[in-house]
Amino acid sequence: MTTAQRKRIIELTVNEETYELAIECQEILLDVLRNNLGLTGTKEGCGTGECGSCTVLLEGEPILACLMLAVECENKKIETIEGQSINGDLTPVQEAFLEKGGVQCGFCTPGMVMASTDLLKRNPDPSKEDIMESLGGHLCRCTGYNKIMESVQHAVKLNRDNT
Amino acid sequence: MYLPKFTLESPKSFEEAVSLLKSGEDARLLSGGTDLLPRMKYKLCTPGVVVSLKGLPPIPIQVDEEDNLIVDANMSLTAITLSPEIQEKAPLLAKAAQMVATREIRNMGTIGGNICQETRCLYLNQTHTFQFIEPCLKRGGTVCYFAPKGKKCWAVFMSDTAPALFCLNADVIISDLNGDHQIPIEKIYTGDSLKPLSLGSDQIITKIVIPETEGPSGSGFAKFTVRETIEFAVVNIGVFLEAEKNLETCKQARITVGAVFGAPQRAVEAEDWLAGKNLSQENINKASQKIASSLKIMPHHGYSKSYLTECLKIQSRHALSDAVKELIDQNIGGR
Repeated sequence: MTTAQRKRIIELTVNEETYELAIECQEILLDVLRNNLGLTGTKEGCGTGECGSCTVLLEGEPILACLMLAVECENKKIETIEGQSINGDLTPVQEAFLEKGGVQCGFCTPGMVMASTDLLKRNPDPSKEDIMESLGGHLCRCTGYNKIMESVQHAVKLNRDNT
Repeated sequence: MYLPKFTLESPKSFEEAVSLLKSGEDARLLSGGTDLLPRMKYKLCTPGVVVSLKGLPPIPIQVDEEDNLIVDANMSLTAITLSPEIQEKAPLLAKAAQMVATREIRNMGTIGGNICQETRCLYLNQTHTFQFIEPCLKRGGTVCYFAPKGKKCWAVFMSDTAPALFCLNADVIISDLNGDHQIPIEKIYTGDSLKPLSLGSDQIITKIVIPETEGPSGSGFAKFTVRETIEFAVVNIGVFLEAEKNLETCKQARITVGAVFGAPQRAVEAEDWLAGKNLSQENINKASQKIASSLKIMPHHGYSKSYLTECLKIQSRHALSDAVKELIDQNIGGR
């Protein structure tokens, strides 16, 4: 009946690549991504769900990797910031952050990009309030929120031009 | 920040989870994890066994023969917000769930976890590694750093969805080794900040039952925070108004205030006063005064009692006005 074990061997699918890992139950997804898989794009800010810098997409939905046990992500699709650009081509959201200076120190940027990508997927033409609501859980200590807002609005424009 | 070591159990049914909780020494239930895991990281609780409900199959919302909504307690807050059944039959719950934290946290957090969250305090919810002082009451000590001369814990219960469920007269179904029991949601709270829930360590809330409402009604939810998002409430309030057919007279009001005490509180005095009265702006203002003056308000997170009382007055007015607006907007066709 019991499935309890301290260490489990699991398969994680990150950015469409499958990895087999032996990890302990208490290891969180964030640490596994960074330490075991070397995907250090996802950042640890607060570690307690307050800053949003560890945001990744789990089954297409944004979640906080710092509050997710890695063993519970088995058989689920995980997308991190490293999986966004394909063959070096940036996504419109990344392009917009670059063009509009939405990056200062860059620590919050992976989380911001993942949340913005999710927003534009759900709502291709978001209002300013929609963007603020979506990025509400992401803290930028460089206080560059205006540039980030402009970046997301520019990404909307780039998306529109592409289609 | 690392989690302390524990053994993870992944049951496939609520029955299995109950038996694991019973058998496990110092076992804790993990639903969404957005409340438990930060507390474990702060070493506020260090269970030996964690029983995770994440592997349980999702159960869609059901409507029983009496038109009650049966909501799976393991449903995510995002799913609650987006559910057409909840938007139609219990919009107050959808509004409250929408106001919880952020999209990321709503994707992870569940409704059952949200109503069973621990009480919070500015001193308690932080890392205590380098504090060479005696632990507070909530950490097993004998002092309260928020009210140093006080003998009780001053942490507050900050769920947004619990006040909404109070207003909707919801019941919860609790599973334990003796089977399922249905009790009103109000009964699961003790009002004691030290141990806010009356649930036993082997009891799980498996379902939430929201009764059908009859006659014209309207609801409003207001939550005041400084940053607007990703913040626990300074004060929150849910209002559910049942009106006479003329849509102008209040038949019954249910008003619940959260975040200012160890449990959500029904504003009974204001509810009784409002029943039978005209839903005019003047009466809304008077009811708001009554709500703010009749409830127990504990200062928390640096906000004084007088500040919170003023906040509550204003938020009560917002929630009551929204409820009246919804009442008129939704029922004007059938007038």
